[in-house]
Amino acid sequence: MLSEWLNKTWLRLKAICKRPQLDRDLEDEVTFHLAMREEKNRLAGNDTEESRYAARRQFGNTTAIQEKNREMWSFTSLEGIFQDIRFALRMLRKNSGFAAVAVLTLALGIGANTAIFSVINGILLNPLPYKDPERIVAMRPNDSPPNLVDIQRETRSFSQGGGINVNNMDYTSGTEPMQVRGGYVNAGFLETLGVPPMLGRIISPEEDVKGGPRFVVLSYPFWQNFLNSDPQVLGKTIALSGNDYTVIGVMPANFVPPREHADVFVSLSAAYPDEASERDLHFMHTYWRLNAGVTLAQARAEMSTMDHRLAQLYPDSETDRRTVFLPLQESVTGSVRPALLVLFGAVGFVLLIACANFAGLLMARAIARRQELVIRTALGAGKSRLIRQALTESVLLAVVGGGAGLLLARLGISLLLSLKPAALDRFNSIHLDAHVLFFVFGISLLTGVVFGIAPAWSLTNLNSAESLKDGARGSTSGQSGNLLRKLLVTAEFAIALVLLVGAGLLIKGFSRLRSVSPGFNPRHVMTMHLQLPEARYAKIPRQTQFRVQALERINALPRVEAAMVMDLPLSPNYVDPRVVVDGGPPVAVGAEPRAQTNSVMGDYFHVMQIPIRAGREFTPMDREGQPLVAIVNEEFVKERLPHRNPIGARIDWARAPEPQRWMTIVGVAADVKDSSLDEPADPAVYTPFSQSEQVWRRWMTLVLRTSGPVPGLVDEVKKQVWSVDSQIPVSDILSMEDIMAVSLAQQRFNMLLLALFAALALILAAVGIYGLMAYSVSQRTHEIGVRLAIGAQRRDVLRLVLREGAKLTLLGIAIGIIAALSLTHLMASLLFEVTPTDPETFAAVAVLLAAVALVACYIPACRATRVDPMVALRYE
Amino acid sequence: MEHFFPLNVLWIKERIFNALYAHTAYMKEKRENPGDLLQGTLDLLILKALARGSMHGYGVAEWIHQTSEDILKVEEGALYPALHRLELRGLLCAEWGTSDNNRRAKFYSLTTSGKKQLAQKTEFWRRMSGAVARLLQTA
Repeated sequence: MLSEWLNKTWLRLKAICKRPQLDRDLEDEVTFHLAMREEKNRLAGNDTEESRYAARRQFGNTTAIQEKNREMWSFTSLEGIFQDIRFALRMLRKNSGFAAVAVLTLALGIGANTAIFSVINGILLNPLPYKDPERIVAMRPNDSPPNLVDIQRETRSFSQGGGINVNNMDYTSGTEPMQVRGGYVNAGFLETLGVPPMLGRIISPEEDVKGGPRFVVLSYPFWQNFLNSDPQVLGKTIALSGNDYTVIGVMPANFVPPREHADVFVSLSAAYPDEASERDLHFMHTYWRLNAGVTLAQARAEMSTMDHRLAQLYPDSETDRRTVFLPLQESVTGSVRPALLVLFGAVGFVLLIACANFAGLLMARAIARRQELVIRTALGAGKSRLIRQALTESVLLAVVGGGAGLLLARLGISLLLSLKPAALDRFNSIHLDAHVLFFVFGISLLTGVVFGIAPAWSLTNLNSAESLKDGARGSTSGQSGNLLRKLLVTAEFAIALVLLVGAGLLIKGFSRLRSVSPGFNPRHVMTMHLQLPEARYAKIPRQTQFRVQALERINALPRVEAAMVMDLPLSPNYVDPRVVVDGGPPVAVGAEPRAQTNSVMGDYFHVMQIPIRAGREFTPMDREGQPLVAIVNEEFVKERLPHRNPIGARIDWARAPEPQRWMTIVGVAADVKDSSLDEPADPAVYTPFSQSEQVWRRWMTLVLRTSGPVPGLVDEVKKQVWSVDSQIPVSDILSMEDIMAVSLAQQRFNMLLLALFAALALILAAVGIYGLMAYSVSQRTHEIGVRLAIGAQRRDVLRLVLREGAKLTLLGIAIGIIAALSLTHLMASLLFEVTPTDPETFAAVAVLLAAVALVACYIPACRATRVDPMVALRYE
Repeated sequence: MEHFFPLNVLWIKERIFNALYAHTAYMKEKRENPGDLLQGTLDLLILKALARGSMHGYGVAEWIHQTSEDILKVEEGALYPALHRLELRGLLCAEWGTSDNNRRAKFYSLTTSGKKQLAQKTEFWRRMSGAVARLLQTA
């Protein structure tokens, strides 16, 4: 076997060296045979001409046989590929218009796909930077530290578990007071994620106790920016929220907690011993590492038993536990996931349209090259050889298209990143990596082969003699090829309709969302976040003193009205305590409804222009030592005080320590969107800051309404704040309009992208139908000429061409509507107050698509009417 | 009309039509005689033809025609790829020489492994045809 192969290779190598000799030999051999046969035929009594043809007939296709022999003697497969590529390049250079359109079409499709895929790759596919991230699950909803300890002790499913709550801290060891994000964790948190610190160590369970030492683990950016990457940082102390913390470790650069960014990590029990032992303060985001061999379902099952047990033990706070676990990746990407998948589906459709156009172009070219191919077949080219050549050309085009697509994708990604909603902030790993390159390469190759094979195949199904005659007569040739192209264009329209419907629904939803009133007037409102240091503001009166003084000074500035609120609208907070109503229907302990709570100071409702529906606003008289008062929103009245006069009713926090300290409702404010514009307002309770009991809520947001833009306002306000206390960090300086824009960012992102893709689809589909009609008109020039010559009117010709286009368009639209009806429900979660089958949108999109198709067909139709019968009849 | 074309165009045109003619004839023949020789059979016939001594391609074709009394119709063109394949496999060796009527021709002859292969194949066919014949005899 081996010797045979060696012999073969040796003979072939020899043959390469004497290539011309070999060619001559092959030719000679055949000629000799033909000559001998011809002679014999002549001897049998035929005339010269006849014996020559008989000899050829008996022999078969000489060129094909010589070609076959030549292939045998050389390394044809390799040589052939280079030859094919060279030939393809030459053909494409000659038909640069065709090549440019094909490459551009594919580049758009592949580029859009690549850009979205790299986002998906960065967010949904790349493993999170933790140890065995697939074994980590996130628990919903949040839980309290004592429950965390119980769950850890009494369940078997988890090897580790831990929680974090990120809150503002002020860092005062630097040059000016800075607000930083403090991650309040328990010892299990960093351990569960399994990322070892870069320097030092993490907080141990022995230190994570009430009265434990104040230790801090730094994040890499914090260590870099505030401590100048000091390698000797371990053991040093830094001041956080007025307390000294000893640095014991620094996390590596790529470490970020799963949900929120944090600059420093401190033990919750050490920082807030009292809150850390409260069972009913469910504020920790918790993460659990599954034991080997435990499935998510098993963990869920065990947890529901645990929920039950906790509910029995602590009916006050744990009755309505419904704990769920999510895979970490899903919990992190939760809100963006459906949007990204819908977008990926959308770009997939764009690619399909691009591919259909590409195939259509190849098809048209194949039909145009019919004669050339017939001749090549006649001259001895094998079927497989021709297919290979055609495929080489389409794959070459696809690969060039893919390369151009990659360039487009780079642009697209930077565009995407500039638009990306805040939810994607933690993902800085969005870029073109090996995965993405592999994806592009694969997709280009697949496109080239799959969409090149039909045209290539159609080339070879030729009956040579018939085709030659056919081509020579110049009739409407290539019926089957045209049918395929028509199918492709119909499919393009169907897909474009689906995309346009999707985009239309999002646009409609978005415009609905934008017209939703947030409940306040965001024009000319500036906001700033302030945080009081813990050590010097441990008591409410001290805090009140700062707030009153600061507000007084800021209100003294010209053209400024200022007030304070704890949490701004549209920025969700997690504290929604349970509220009981005096004289309301009895409620089971632990099942009291929750309400959003907010503390305010100054004329908050007036400044924000939140209408007061009944009663009054707070006044400076509603302060410490005075009767407790509250203002509720309309939703609260509707839910909790139906058929009652809310003014004068009394409410209190559920299970507040005795004796009951009832708050009297003095006013009803209009509803305000507190978490996001697309969710209905929750029941809410406002109380004056000065009557608060929660010392730990030491933060507040300044809201400043001006009559117009005031230059230097921010600096002026800062100066006033610092004139009261120079150690207060001022952060998050945003206008209320910015905050609204941020809250719409995700929807805007979805809408813009889908609209972009739909526009792309529309353009490609229009190009597709234009190409088909233009080609069909040019093919039928002769026929149109005849029609005109025998008396058809220009109008008839126009109608003839338009009717053909209209048929395809309407069929495509009909199919698209059916497809869209079955697909749009997938994006229901992205829509706001629009049903996925919104008839208006469907109708508008169908009309738009039909109009675009009409224009695209009108141009070639017009050209058809200008055909000069005389010229047309002489055509070809 | 044709005299407007330069000479080489006419020449190309003739070649094309010749080729086309041969091709269509070939296709027609192929359609009418679906019973192509089995691949292995053609190889065996060539080896057998050359067992008597070296011979050119035309000679092999003629021998097959005559000895099979035109029952086995060899497409003459198909003979050459088969000859070359056998040569590449080392079963045949080839040499250029002069034919009886003084033309340059390529003469093929069996190599040692070619002879071995012939013996093996002959034995196989004998057993095969014997078996088939017996099968057909059992009524």
